Amino acid sequence: MSAVKKPLGFNARVQAALADPTLKIAIDRTIGNARTKRAAAMAQWPQFPAARELGRDIKDHVIAHLDHYLVKFERNARRSGAAVHWACSGAEACEIVVDICRKAGARSVTRSKSMLGEEIGLPHALQEAGIERVETDLAEHIIQLAGDPPSHIVWPAMHKTREQVAELFHRHHHTPLPLDTVENMVASARRELRSRFLAADVGISGANFLIADSGAVCTVTNEGNAELTTTLPRVHIVTAGIEKLVPSTAHAMAMLRLLVRSATGAEFTQYTTFHCGPKRSGDLDGPAEFHIVLVDGGRTRMLAEGLADMLRCIRCGACMNHCVVYRQIGGHAYGSTYPGPLGSVLTPLLQGLPQSADLPRACTLNGQCQEVCPVAIPLPTLLRGWRDRAWSTGIESVTARWALGLWGFVALRPALYRLASAWAVRVMSLFARDGWIARMPLAGGWTHYRDLPQPPKRTFMAQYRRRRARS
Amino acid sequence: MDPKPRSDDLGNPRVALFVTCLVDAMRPQVGFASMALLDSAGCRVEVPVAQTCCGQPALNSGDRSGARRLAQATIALLEPYEFVVAPSGSCAATIRLHYPELFIEEDPWLARATALAARTHELMSFLVDVRGWSPRGVALDASATYHDSCSGLRELNVQSQPRRLLAAVDRLALRPLQDSTTCCGFGGTFCVKYAAISNAIVGEKVRNIQAAGADLLLGGDLGCLMNMAGKLHRGGSKVRVFHAAELLAGMGTGPAIGEVP
Amino acid sequence: MSAARGTILTAIRAALAHRRGGLAEPDEAGIAAEAELLRARVVSTRPDRLEDGAQSAFLRRLVSPGVGATAESVAQLADFPAAVRRYLTAQGLRPSVALQPHPELRALDWSGIETHAQISADEPAAVGLALGAIAETGTLVFHSSPASPTLFAFLPAHHIVAVEAARIWRWLEDYADAFADGVQPRNVNLITGASGTTDIEGALVRGAHGPGRLHVVLVGGAARDSNH
Repeated sequence: MSAVKKPLGFNARVQAALADPTLKIAIDRTIGNARTKRAAAMAQWPQFPAARELGRDIKDHVIAHLDHYLVKFERNARRSGAAVHWACSGAEACEIVVDICRKAGARSVTRSKSMLGEEIGLPHALQEAGIERVETDLAEHIIQLAGDPPSHIVWPAMHKTREQVAELFHRHHHTPLPLDTVENMVASARRELRSRFLAADVGISGANFLIADSGAVCTVTNEGNAELTTTLPRVHIVTAGIEKLVPSTAHAMAMLRLLVRSATGAEFTQYTTFHCGPKRSGDLDGPAEFHIVLVDGGRTRMLAEGLADMLRCIRCGACMNHCVVYRQIGGHAYGSTYPGPLGSVLTPLLQGLPQSADLPRACTLNGQCQEVCPVAIPLPTLLRGWRDRAWSTGIESVTARWALGLWGFVALRPALYRLASAWAVRVMSLFARDGWIARMPLAGGWTHYRDLPQPPKRTFMAQYRRRRARS
Repeated sequence: MDPKPRSDDLGNPRVALFVTCLVDAMRPQVGFASMALLDSAGCRVEVPVAQTCCGQPALNSGDRSGARRLAQATIALLEPYEFVVAPSGSCAATIRLHYPELFIEEDPWLARATALAARTHELMSFLVDVRGWSPRGVALDASATYHDSCSGLRELNVQSQPRRLLAAVDRLALRPLQDSTTCCGFGGTFCVKYAAISNAIVGEKVRNIQAAGADLLLGGDLGCLMNMAGKLHRGGSKVRVFHAAELLAGMGTGPAIGEVP
Repeated sequence: MSAARGTILTAIRAALAHRRGGLAEPDEAGIAAEAELLRARVVSTRPDRLEDGAQSAFLRRLVSPGVGATAESVAQLADFPAAVRRYLTAQGLRPSVALQPHPELRALDWSGIETHAQISADEPAAVGLALGAIAETGTLVFHSSPASPTLFAFLPAHHIVAVEAARIWRWLEDYADAFADGVQPRNVNLITGASGTTDIEGALVRGAHGPGRLHVVLVGGAARDSNH
């Protein structure tokens, strides 16, 4: 993600997204489907509210003892033969990964989907190191060929039509099969990638959960590419955020029930795999080396700066699927690895608030994200927190401060307020015709798209006082 | 410090109507309808004339100290009353949920904010849940569809109450609104700061409203209603928009939002 | 590297101490007790399921559209090769399979089918024996070992798997509990149906990288349903 230039600001990206009818069709199809499936799954799970509270509590418990569980995980992972590395920053994590690849003499690396990998800029780091990177998750393969950043955390290539995919495969697959149907496109990708799986020296995966009491890494996928990525090469590297811990496999099962239904509406993904250490004596397959890179990347700051609740996140994507803003602008407009509500909370931390202040603001605070979050993260509250920080650190625009300051000044002085509102309704009425205002200075944001109902001749308070005076 | 709130001799609670800045400036009918409904529900309604704004714009912009100042003024104004009722989910939620969050534990204002919060209600939930009231003898020959404004819905659990009240209006046919609980895109200053996104959101909402095939659109928050009414009108729709309180108070035969009387 | 470890742990401890506001951090036993309390709560959060017994529930989920496997039952493991032969014929596949190097499978009579222990990258069909299954989700359980290499479940286009009815766990946690005290295997694969993707326009396609077809042969299913 860090390799992709973002010359446009948020508003420009939004404009581009809103002007793209193909994108809207793609969003509606993918996201609408996800919402429907999730709703159907939850309708069959009356225990969901209790399960959600348990998921929240499990995560809060881990967060409250994060150092304990990290140390425990490291100890058990080492015991299984894994090498455990720690990285404060994303850049440091990339250095560690590239170093392992160099020591392994890697020319080609396969990757299964990892949002953390995107977050730390791993694709760019591998490219800079001259190491060939092969994305194996079908959606990641598509966006690698297109040179696009991901637009959703579960369906990164959601913004692509089948025609666009066919065109990419036609251009890039060595011997593409006929690409007239989606089935054939998938078959072509399967064939194209099979030899790359076999040729890879290193396989890099993410982690959905880190199991503290066994040192195992849990991945949750549908295609089988994660297992081919992590079993065939000589070296397997896991990159994982430090918040991915759960105490045990049983606790992971409780989280998995929430994760899969919230993400896709299924009950369990095709492949839930627990990877623990390298090849053991007698094994016919498996990596000779198993490395785990634990990445902080701002997570300890979240713990210290009032964003601890966000560490509960299990990256299901339900929040963005139900976000009225995401549904209109899609993922790229956010200009970040993480879009939607979770992206609007994380991005100011990852990129800095001045660079990303639009994200917490471009929100109606309607609360549907929080309602569907399987670990009950109070997303609107966290977004408000960023708005508070933007205001108190002076990021908010001068115009906004002035306008709000004026409003506050007047609102604290009832007599002045009455005068001002009486005057305002009279002035506004000058622009009205037949009950509506179609255009008015200072109201361009509203009237460009909607009519504004004409205000009354006299405010409620003026009318009320007159009625009271009469009686 | 402030007089203990108490009912009058007949056991009718003293209720302060917090009319909200939008109703005050844009649609006074909603205020008068609210008064009539509260009166009908046996309340002694008063309108504290020094009221202005609950401070939501400051709160949502991140200006906590500005919000706090307005909160203090509002709390001091309203705390003499037994109940505070607002014809708006978002304003009621600001007082009920967000005022206490503005004050730290040691601040004496916290207790005052908490006390007031417990006595503050959105209008329709107050009529049903606190007063057990239902409209009687109110009729309107029309079909209507109802939009659930997000603050009222998610912060205050206002969902069944408006429908129960409207169901008691004779001859009024309620039609379901597809995705009634999906945000309309108003979001306070959001609708002007991010106008293009807001427009896209309300565009979808308006398509659902038109598909409902009802004469009227009703809701409990004027900001949302103005947003949807404005978009409906710009698109040439004939759907007429009212605040639900107006219908419940028998004012549904009057001019809808944007109609010249 | 170790510097990062120290930095991270120090920062976490400082932040947590601040959050606790002076209260002491519970000791290991205390943390374990909290974790156990949380684990125990799972029972009341599970979906309504399994009224009809683990075996029927497992089969039902297995063939449901969401999972998309096919299934049949045989009386004993000795009947498994015949089931495999039937499957290969029905699918128009040559009678040649990669056979998972499990002694119980090797001991069966595979006459009429060519079996080989090496699995190729484009293997048309592989035959396996699962460690067990989970009824709640219609899941097969594989633990990696010399007798159960991981790739047998991921390289072939068709995966034909026998599983004993007596080894069906009811709930996900029942499986977890069964191995809680043991040594964690190198690889645990919980396999629920055939590989699939919805990455292109949301259309479901089977066989993205893993097997496009999963056929399960339930062995020894009795009239009396089995429970664990």
